[in-house]
Amino acid sequence: MAAIDITDVHKSFGKVPVLKGVDIAIASGEFVVLVGPSGCGKSTLLRLIAGLEEMSAGEIRIGGRVVNDLPPKDRDIAMVFQSYALYPHMTVAGNMSYSLKLKRTPREVIADAVTSAGAKLGLGLLQERKPRELSGGQRQRVAMGRAIVRKPKAFLFDEPLSNLDARLREQMRFEIKKLHRELGATSVYVTHDQIEAMTMADRIVALNGGIIQQVGTPLELYDDPANIFVAGFIGSPAMNFLEGNVLPGPGGTGISVGGQTLCRLSMPLAGSAQSKVTVGIRPERVMLAGDTSGLQAQVVLVEPTGLGTVLHLELAGQFLKLFTTERPALKIGDTAGVKVDSADLRFFDAATGQRIRVAG
Amino acid sequence: MTVAIDQSMAIRHRRAWSSRVLAVSEPWLYASPAVILLSAILLVPLAIGISYAFRDIQLLDPMSGGYVGLSHFSEIWNDANFWNALRNTLQWTVVSVILQFVFGLILALMLNRPFPGRAVVQALVFLPWAVPAFLSGLNWAWLFNPVVGPIPHWMVALGLASTPENILSDPSHALWGPIIAIVWWGIPFFAITLLAALQSIPKDIYEAAEIDGAGPLQRFASITVPFLAPTIAITLLLRAVWISNSADLIVVMTKGGPADSTQIVASYIFTQAFQRLDFGYASAIAVVLLVILLVYSALLIFVRQKLIKAG
Ligand SMILES: Nc1ncnc2c1ncn2[C@@H]1O[C@H](COP(=O)(O)OP(=O)(O)OP(=O)(O)O)[C@@H](O)[C@H]1O
Ligand SMILES: [Mg+2]
Repeated sequence: MAAIDITDVHKSFGKVPVLKGVDIAIASGEFVVLVGPSGCGKSTLLRLIAGLEEMSAGEIRIGGRVVNDLPPKDRDIAMVFQSYALYPHMTVAGNMSYSLKLKRTPREVIADAVTSAGAKLGLGLLQERKPRELSGGQRQRVAMGRAIVRKPKAFLFDEPLSNLDARLREQMRFEIKKLHRELGATSVYVTHDQIEAMTMADRIVALNGGIIQQVGTPLELYDDPANIFVAGFIGSPAMNFLEGNVLPGPGGTGISVGGQTLCRLSMPLAGSAQSKVTVGIRPERVMLAGDTSGLQAQVVLVEPTGLGTVLHLELAGQFLKLFTTERPALKIGDTAGVKVDSADLRFFDAATGQRIRVAG
Repeated sequence: MTVAIDQSMAIRHRRAWSSRVLAVSEPWLYASPAVILLSAILLVPLAIGISYAFRDIQLLDPMSGGYVGLSHFSEIWNDANFWNALRNTLQWTVVSVILQFVFGLILALMLNRPFPGRAVVQALVFLPWAVPAFLSGLNWAWLFNPVVGPIPHWMVALGLASTPENILSDPSHALWGPIIAIVWWGIPFFAITLLAALQSIPKDIYEAAEIDGAGPLQRFASITVPFLAPTIAITLLLRAVWISNSADLIVVMTKGGPADSTQIVASYIFTQAFQRLDFGYASAIAVVLLVILLVYSALLIFVRQKLIKAG
């Protein structure tokens, strides 16, 4: 167990900058999830921590010790790869014990470690199988087992569940969290799946284009996104974004969408001189008025999910999703009255995408 | 009534039988053009060639052509030159294959890591493969010749020889001439095959091993070697068949001499057929070589199956 401190890390491949100044302080025992779209540099950052890649500038400390020049084997970390990267010519037991054998650990200690890791992961009966004789989920467990037998200071996971089907992913999510609680080891977990990020993380680091967008607990990112990228990336169905006009007036600031008034704020928007603003609202915060009051929107598509219904609406040429746990009797083409609570609205600068807060 | 029924049953029977014959022979009819073509091209010449082994065929003797039974084979059994050639074949094959493999592997390992100008070096390294064997034989024969070639003089300069002699005219070392030529010529084959195998090893397995604490040698032993083993086994075995059979470099460089010291079975067949013009005897030796190689190939297929099952 150790803290990991990443300070102003830059990484370029040739002339192409991939990480442009990343700072993260990961506390000892913390489970941090790195999320971001494909190609944003998540794997690159993880590989820098592992020492598989050399950073162009910056500093990484593991347990207080600068590891910039340490080879991977001296960093005392374990990594679980997306492809699992099991040794195909070794058995399950061989895969798990390889690192201990290299350290010349006594045979009994190795046997104990492998047996207990196998028992934790439900691999007891598979110890003598080769990786190709295992299912995807079992391979995944072996990769985890290989990581935990070493009792490393930190675990690094690079999209370990992306090759599994949805149900197995759900189960492994739970098992990885359980293991983390038992072992209490610092973990850095890379994924592009925001549900994994939300459910597993102590803290989420949202990355885009090699720059950290926001760091915080899952609900902080969900409720209080720093910018339009985080707001749109976290949450499913995704947050709605509407183009609104700001109408300052004597009774407060009005926000209108397509000529209809969305809300009236008692306080002005902080530092807003603009007349345009992007308004974000979560689909589950958009409510049906139940009558023809409120904003008038056309139903474009009705998606029943079982748990509830996602209504796709068109509001003066802009699209809006509404999630409700009810099963409204609306059909495509119907007109629905929709209302929102101004406390549920998030405002973003239409040009930069940065959050604009309500003053006060 | 009963008669009529019997008749109709007999007819049905007959029809059923002929349609069954048709059903069985149908696939053969479809395959027949290919079968006929293949046997005409492959099997007929082979059969004729093998039949020569049992006949007395001397190109310069118009009276020859008679059936001689197994007498060629008993002649081979007592032919000291044949046994000498067989010994040479063994030495020639084993030494050449091992040297080609070792240098090919070293080359493949060096080419597998990125360095500036790798593409150019890779192209250059594969150049010998593009040189016709015949040409490379001539080339090496000249290189070993003290009158036109530098190698004997280098040997003197290095203190390996007292006077610049042609290694190809020294009966105790002459076989090394063609061996060096075929090794030079065959390294690219191993380098290409092994490089392809090396490049098919997933990089993240090496990275996982690196994190697990394996140094370069341990990674080589526990990842590279097991991954390459099937390729190595198969290419070594296949290459051995090919080299044991290839007489062109020997014929070009030494013609089997001096004093048959570089004669391998394949070049001995060539000598018997085209210098002594005894096609019958040459065919008999060829049949013996064929049998030896068939046994070896059976072994090869067996090993291959084993490897596929294990791999
Ligand atoms: N070895 C490399 N050489 C050159 N460019 C690279 C290399 N590795 C990664 N990149 C580039 O760096 C960028 C970030 O790659 P990275 O693998 O970190 O993305 P990622 O966030 O993990 O994406 P994904 O979710 O698809 O795995 C990509 O644009 C990629 O093309
Ligand atoms: Mg990645």
